[in-house]
Amino acid sequence: MQYCTACQKAIATTIIMDLDNGAVTGSQHVCQACAEQLGVGAPKAPPKFSAEMLEDLLGGIKQPRGRGKASDACAGCGMTPAEFRSKGRLGCPRCYETFRTELMPLLQRIHEAQAHRGRMPAVVGAIAAQPDERSLADVRKRLEDAVRGERYEEAARLRDELRRLERGEAS
Amino acid sequence: MSKPRRGDKQPEFRPGTWLAGNGPENDIAICTRVRLARNLQGFPFSPCLDETESRQLFDFIVARLQQTGLPEQLKIVDLLPVEELERTVLVERHLISREMAATKRPGGVAVDAEESVAVMINEEDHLRVQVFAPGLQPAAAWQRAERLDDALIQRLPMAWSEEFGFLTSCPTNTGTGLRLSVMLHLPGLVWSEEIDKATNVAQKIHLAVRGLYGEGSRALGDFYQVSNQVTLGRDEAQIQNDVLLAVGRMVQWEREVRGALLRGSARVRTLDKVQRALGTLERAQILTSEEALGCLSALRFGIAAELVQGYETAAVNRALLLSQPGHLQRHTREVMKPEERDQRRAVLLREVLGCAR
Repeated sequence: MQYCTACQKAIATTIIMDLDNGAVTGSQHVCQACAEQLGVGAPKAPPKFSAEMLEDLLGGIKQPRGRGKASDACAGCGMTPAEFRSKGRLGCPRCYETFRTELMPLLQRIHEAQAHRGRMPAVVGAIAAQPDERSLADVRKRLEDAVRGERYEEAARLRDELRRLERGEAS
Repeated sequence: MSKPRRGDKQPEFRPGTWLAGNGPENDIAICTRVRLARNLQGFPFSPCLDETESRQLFDFIVARLQQTGLPEQLKIVDLLPVEELERTVLVERHLISREMAATKRPGGVAVDAEESVAVMINEEDHLRVQVFAPGLQPAAAWQRAERLDDALIQRLPMAWSEEFGFLTSCPTNTGTGLRLSVMLHLPGLVWSEEIDKATNVAQKIHLAVRGLYGEGSRALGDFYQVSNQVTLGRDEAQIQNDVLLAVGRMVQWEREVRGALLRGSARVRTLDKVQRALGTLERAQILTSEEALGCLSALRFGIAAELVQGYETAAVNRALLLSQPGHLQRHTREVMKPEERDQRRAVLLREVLGCAR
């Protein structure tokens, strides 16, 4: 235990080291208050999985937006079944599958039908390449693996790739 | 296609296609509108987008719209810098929705020179394609919308599924995403108190009857919008037939009622109503927008029934637009209190109708 070299009153909790090309050329033991005055705060817990970081990285596959973190939330936009029920609106194209069981009776009530008849992009033809579901699923899985393995650079790259694929752009 | 611009600052007298006053059955059917709701893959639906994502979506769509070969010449208006009064003007011209005017999210509208095509970007859906045709012309409006939709589908990755068709933010639009509406002028049905019967019939066959400015708006000045409600399970041709059939009946009903209002002892009461309206338009010093719409409606009927001479339907249509608060204030180039507006409206309508003396 050592007293603060700056105020000589409190117990030193922080060591400030002067580094020159990796070599320690000097050191100073200071207390919490003096460290803060010097602009060196107590080291915070390492940002292992900050919510923003995760949200940003998972942007391509899930956007919890601080609310829909339940396991039954839509993987595309984070909307929860409760939100869907209260708003009666879908959050993204994937919600149609996520909330299928709730959606079907709703469609029946509104339209007295549950399936589409009429124009479809595929029939219109020459559509800007529909995203290939298999490669989408593959990238999604690699992204989840990368996030789990905390390989953020790779995850960010995969997220961008996923977004491009979903928009039908060539990757 | 030009760069995004601010709203036009010049006073606007052209009534736009929806009030052009020509086209089949134009004495009763003012205009036909086709609206298609479309969304892109890779973005949550518009209500779930934050500001950055909204901007990305807007920029992405604008870039794709600016690629060559689009069947329409569209001018893009970025709404963000557009102030409140200009937004109101765009709403009154049916180019953007009231909801869109009220939001501060990035978004915009792509409009052609005649204002017969308007594509809202980042409204409730990523894209709301609107095509207007004067009079009762569902087929013509649809064909134009279909051609534009084809081009959009080639440029943009639309969200759709074989089962549900086009995927939309609200399940009321799922499937075709098509809302076909016809704006009708029905003074005969209103005056003879048969309008409730007529709207009930329309509602029974799943058509919605609304006021001039869509959902939730009251039917002012005897103007009604009739549109399909079902978008899933009926294809585009069936929807057109449904609307055409119902609107055709309403038009016929309105004609019969007008005929009755012009015969026998009813004629003098009808004439009295029309002449009183004209008297108000010619002499009033203070005119609220509601009263103005009522008088203009009566005058429009009077012209169609040849009860009044010296006035033109086209001028009445212009007056209908200019009597709206946004157009009125833009025309006079000043923001006014409601009472000042009502005074100004009385003067302006005389000018527009050609009865300023």
